Amino acid sequence: MFESGDVGEILVYSLILIGIAFGAFFPLAFIYSMLFGGLHQSKMFKQLLARERHVAALVGGDNIHTLSTPISLDKITQSSLVMTNITVGPSWWQLFLGGIKSIFGGNIQSFDKILAYGRSEVIQRLREQAIGDGWDEVINVRVETSMVMNKIKGGKQNKLGTLEFVAYGTGIR
Amino acid sequence: MEMMTSNIEHIPGFTITKSLGVATGSTVRAKHIGKDILAGLKNIVGGELKAYTELLMEARTEALGRMMMDAGQRGANAVVNVRFATSSVAGGAAELFAYGTAVIVTEG
Repeated sequence: MFESGDVGEILVYSLILIGIAFGAFFPLAFIYSMLFGGLHQSKMFKQLLARERHVAALVGGDNIHTLSTPISLDKITQSSLVMTNITVGPSWWQLFLGGIKSIFGGNIQSFDKILAYGRSEVIQRLREQAIGDGWDEVINVRVETSMVMNKIKGGKQNKLGTLEFVAYGTGIR
Repeated sequence: MEMMTSNIEHIPGFTITKSLGVATGSTVRAKHIGKDILAGLKNIVGGELKAYTELLMEARTEALGRMMMDAGQRGANAVVNVRFATSSVAGGAAELFAYGTAVIVTEG
């Protein structure tokens, strides 16, 4: 059985351990982000490219466009709004680099990558959704970007740097 | 009858006979604090934040539904030229807004 002194000691030790775990987690996560963030994002890009090629082979070109009139379809029997979205955020390392870059100004390359990914991905999702819902073509496609889920409190804006992309158009068949 | 929607100036295969003004629908969503912390942790290597993607899609679908309801109350059977707008209101909340022109269309 524990005596009162032992219980106090255990409590103190466990508190110290929790403190160490929390203190070590953030630097470790940051290093992990630095080492594997780029690798993870390259993998995402590769998968996206493969999906784009798959759809291109399937429909023989592209099934979405920004014109307000159909290109390949002669007679339209049905139409409806089609929309899709994605929310992306930069890695901790990219966010850190972006923070440093914003002091000097100029092109923030670390953000370029994730923005390019988000936009390509949302357009690709629209293509896949159009195929899934059975639309032959999606016309008048629009892509919008917005910064959502901002944190305005305490003068610290958008802590996570999250961006939302929306793509929508009119599906026809 | 189901409400028809499009983001072009007409409904293909139909003719607009009457305009009933602008139909609007909006919703404000705030995130769950637990989800927020989890999203921050998941984002160590960057990429998609699935929780937010789903939350915003759900909210946008609701805004679109409200817009259709508004159009229905005006007596319309279609909404043309639908647009979306997103804005950040008050820390951590997003407003999703859908609007379009409520119209009556007839086949032909």
